[in-house]
Amino acid sequence: MTLRIIAKLDVKPPYVVKPVHFEGLRKVGKPADLARKYFEQGADEIIYIDIVSSLYQREILIPHIEETAGKILVPLGVGGGVKSLADFSNLFHSGADKVLINTEVVQNNPQLIDEASHTFGAQSVVLSVEAKKLPTGTWECYTDCGRIRSNKNVLDWVVEAQERGAGEIVLQSVDCDGRRRGFDLELIEKVVNLVEIPVIAASGAGSLEDILRVASIPNLGGVAIASLLHYDEYSVEDIKTFLRENGIEV
Amino acid sequence: MSELIGIVSSGKAGNTFSIKQCIKYAGGECIDVTDAKTLDSVDKIVLPGVGAFHDAMEQLESLGLVAPLQQQIKQKPTLGICLGMQIMARVGFEHGKTAGLGIFDAEVKPMICEGKVPHMGFNKLKIVGDQKILKGVENETFYFMHSFELVNYTDIMSLSIHQEHQFVSSIAQNDVFGVQFHPEKSRDAGVQVFKNFINY
Repeated sequence: MTLRIIAKLDVKPPYVVKPVHFEGLRKVGKPADLARKYFEQGADEIIYIDIVSSLYQREILIPHIEETAGKILVPLGVGGGVKSLADFSNLFHSGADKVLINTEVVQNNPQLIDEASHTFGAQSVVLSVEAKKLPTGTWECYTDCGRIRSNKNVLDWVVEAQERGAGEIVLQSVDCDGRRRGFDLELIEKVVNLVEIPVIAASGAGSLEDILRVASIPNLGGVAIASLLHYDEYSVEDIKTFLRENGIEV
Repeated sequence: MSELIGIVSSGKAGNTFSIKQCIKYAGGECIDVTDAKTLDSVDKIVLPGVGAFHDAMEQLESLGLVAPLQQQIKQKPTLGICLGMQIMARVGFEHGKTAGLGIFDAEVKPMICEGKVPHMGFNKLKIVGDQKILKGVENETFYFMHSFELVNYTDIMSLSIHQEHQFVSSIAQNDVFGVQFHPEKSRDAGVQVFKNFINY
């Protein structure tokens, strides 16, 4: 299976920002411009997350999404503050191909996964997970960009979400995000082996070697990269070339 | 004046945004079709597809488009994309059994294989027989995003392989085409498919 290299844009409208360890934000550009840039570099998908809509309890801002969707010819996944089937529908009409959900289904209404999957098909319902490792060696789901605890165990939750009809998992790590010290390989490998749906590893890419390490996990669906691209250290093309040279099909 | 492509409102997801954009890149003209009268006025038909089989058919039912489509597809070049291809089958088995438009003698079944499903990402095509709208894209890859597959034995245009599981990735019958992948999400290769369809 070909591994997907996905560019992830964390957006605090109107800017893409880079959260450092889920705190402190740095502006890195406009979402439509960066989406275009990473598309041209060879990104297989773009993920756009409005990181403030859920926290501020306001609706996701549609014009930025339309503008972003208009700049690319690869799939666009969009998330942030999605609470209802109407939200899903609005995002699809604005150019999203997949919708990411986390806060609402973790805190209030897991049934939304079933309903969305039934209405729009599993392939367009993506469970976004923010995992934090506990001293006990298990992982807990967080919401609102790693701010709010849920008491849900990540490994139980991903299985439940798959049964409810989620078609893909974007696995972020509260501990690794923005730190650029490598992925939470242990967690990613566990989740990939546990579920039958594709898993996208996010959070932690600090070097090409970090990406190779995570890309070497058998059956991983893709790797989502933010910081490493935003700081122009490597392009998507550099990453793909490096992975190919190391025997990974991208 | 160039020919007008009608994009049929099928499926509640109704993601026609990128298809319109891609048709524009390919040099075509298109309008939304939400009723039989508009369907009648277009030269070619595109059936888009994000959603679930029964919801898409329900939507077409409620717009009164089922019978008009069955009639018009026989007369006009048509391109079904992903779910849009699947609903041209005789029957679909997504959340129970639903009758499709019955253009192709085909069934839509869950994709069962050793790998991960949904099948997501770029994949190759193995073109079988006449290339038709796949001319010039033999060596390209296309974006797939599906957990159901179309089973057909007579109208295959291309096959693809996901984790050693071979499936029908496109079908053709005269000038009616169906593609399981998303040309509107497949870079320049996808634009070329739309160009081929526009010029067909």
